[in-house]
Amino acid sequence: MNDYVLFGVLPYVVMVVFLVVTIQRYRMKAFSYSSLSSQFLENQHHFWGSVPFHYGILVVLMGHVVAFLMPKAILWWNAAPLRLVLLEVTGIAFAVLTLVGLVNIMLRRVSRRLARRVTTPADWVVYALLLVQVLSGIGVAVFHGWGSSWFATNLSPWLWSLVTLSPDVRFVAPLPAMVKVHIVNSFLLIGFFPFTRLVHILVVPNQYLWRRTQVVIWNWDRSRVRSVD
Amino acid sequence: MRRQAVLRVLVLPAFLAGASGPLRAQDAPSEETIAFFRQNCMSCHTIGGGRLTGPDLKGAHERADEAWLVDFVLDPKGVIDSGDPYAAEIFRDARGVYMTQVPGIDRARAEKLVRLIVSESAKEKSEFAGLQVSDRPLTDADVARGRQLFLGAATYQNGAPACVSCHTLSGLGGLGGGTLGPDLTDVYDRLEGRKALAAWLGSPPSMVMQPVFEGHALDGEEILALVGYLKSVAEGQEEAQPASTLRFVLLGFAGAAFLLLLFDFLWRKRYRATRRPLLRTSRHAAAGSHS
Repeated sequence: MNDYVLFGVLPYVVMVVFLVVTIQRYRMKAFSYSSLSSQFLENQHHFWGSVPFHYGILVVLMGHVVAFLMPKAILWWNAAPLRLVLLEVTGIAFAVLTLVGLVNIMLRRVSRRLARRVTTPADWVVYALLLVQVLSGIGVAVFHGWGSSWFATNLSPWLWSLVTLSPDVRFVAPLPAMVKVHIVNSFLLIGFFPFTRLVHILVVPNQYLWRRTQVVIWNWDRSRVRSVD
Repeated sequence: MRRQAVLRVLVLPAFLAGASGPLRAQDAPSEETIAFFRQNCMSCHTIGGGRLTGPDLKGAHERADEAWLVDFVLDPKGVIDSGDPYAAEIFRDARGVYMTQVPGIDRARAEKLVRLIVSESAKEKSEFAGLQVSDRPLTDADVARGRQLFLGAATYQNGAPACVSCHTLSGLGGLGGGTLGPDLTDVYDRLEGRKALAAWLGSPPSMVMQPVFEGHALDGEEILALVGYLKSVAEGQEEAQPASTLRFVLLGFAGAAFLLLLFDFLWRKRYRATRRPLLRTSRHAAAGSHS
């Protein structure tokens, strides 16, 4: 029963909240769609937080999405022991990278005066959820391997059963507690998503990657503009 | 008794022979009950195929009455621990292995299962006589193929996933197999040999494996190859492998450290290119304006 609530009902509740609130927030307060960067306030510690965290989580998240969309491809890849090890080690390396980044982000938000001042309670909710997510994910990878394979055999069919509106929780119910924590917490993250800085994920300026470079030319005396008087 | 006798007369034509007991007076077992039995009981029991981990259930209703069987199926450990003499005998025969509580069992379902046992016992050859895995001797070729199937280098005919996804055993090399399920190094001994292990593989009763293997059952020859491989592993004198978990974690940390160094190198101009020149200009300007 509990399993049914957590893995058969919660996902739908969360998706409804996610869709309704993200759309509503965009319509009512479009300019709040941002992570409100604090990089200008402090950018040295910021580098060791933001960069490892984002590259880490992008790779790890992509792994999850691929296993969800193409479980057969993952199982095919893992059929050779060396490839399996390669995939798992890559995964854990990027997961540790994510953790290093996240811990740095949290330390910076506590220790740097200016960064602390612009940190909201909602930010701390996000950091706490992310910390649980990353730690439980690493725990699952280390103690309940090989996750890349059994994600494809157990979690993909369950996720697809959710997509087709016929939730089959038998795939998830007997899994170890740490796996369940990781799954439930991921849905909490999606549920909190529209209320927090996480919305910046939806408005990443991807076009910056391919737009033409802009040359900024200052045609005034910069030293005068910057002088104190 | 009188009523039973009447019922027996009424249902006799339907069952032709061997009818006895009140549970008999029902319809033939449903597809659902048959599937449930196949899924949950066949890894340890046959009906007329001999003993596996648990006893052969052919004629079980003649050794104990049906109400007793229903109670036992509902709570095997409870009945055994209650000191019931027949349960104690069963427990002894199973060499001290408790029958597991069947997932999703309730009284109605237990009654249906007992009814199924009764009707199947009456048949000359039950469809639950067990998976007919050949008795031929296991060869080196089986062992080699079993290893390939275990690792996923060879694929199962019905598309079941490779064992290595969730299980490890000694002598695998590399970082070993998965750790979601139990280590299978001594599973051949644990399940007391070929017959029971083959039955287990024929319909895995583990809650995690059940939905995954539904519709992807292993074929008899594949099972034999796996049994051969698992037997060779159990008999092998391979030294216990050092914990691969630690190596895995260390590799993860090494990989992350490498990536951090890479980032530091790739963005080596991160302060020099923009921020520091800007600061310098502004400080210079500030200093200039005071002079």
